[in-house]
Amino acid sequence: MSSASPVTDTSFKDDVLESEVPVLVDFWAPWCGPCRMVAPVVEEIAEQYEGQIKVVKLNTDENPQVASQYGIRSIPTLMIFKGGQRVDMVVGAVPKTTLANTLEKYL
Amino acid sequence: MTTAKTGNQNQTLESMKNFAEQYAQRTGTYFCSDTSVTAVVLEGLAKHKDQLGCPLCPCRHYEDKEAEVKNTFWNCPCVPMRERRECHCLLFLTPDHPFAGKEQSIEMDYINQVRDSMK
Repeated sequence: MSSASPVTDTSFKDDVLESEVPVLVDFWAPWCGPCRMVAPVVEEIAEQYEGQIKVVKLNTDENPQVASQYGIRSIPTLMIFKGGQRVDMVVGAVPKTTLANTLEKYL
Repeated sequence: MTTAKTGNQNQTLESMKNFAEQYAQRTGTYFCSDTSVTAVVLEGLAKHKDQLGCPLCPCRHYEDKEAEVKNTFWNCPCVPMRERRECHCLLFLTPDHPFAGKEQSIEMDYINQVRDSMK
């Protein structure tokens, strides 16, 4: 489980909201260029924090319900969930350190 | 899928590519150093142009795409780009942007290659 696994409108509650560890959700879309730059960063984070957090990705085109529920506008948006609540988010293509620093607050 | 449709899609893509090259030159901006980003965004813009009649930004999530097209704010080039040269899609980057490359042009062959790699 070292890479970001896909979640959907249907699986979001089980996979994200009811997770026992904090979850990083990568909201992405196929024709979003910067999403391509963030994907490898997210993969690295998944490896670095393996066992401490869960890392998943949600295709906003195919899963508009969750994307709308959390007010996703600009993509990529990286959102952190803890105990079923959204606790933080980072918008746009960011360096790994920015993402790691944000995550560290919730471990 | 018909050949006519494929032809139209390619034409739209080519017109988006031409627009982007001219707009980059006109605004003194550059394409991303990772040119696959440029290719994917151009493809996304062309798809929206074919589907909606306008090249709506592919790096946003919308509740209602038709309404957004009418609203015009996120039709490429969007208001933040026109007013402040800000493109969160990383299509048009000012030279000081960390992801800016050196190019203001891109080959059709390369765009098609990136698209094929995504299938």
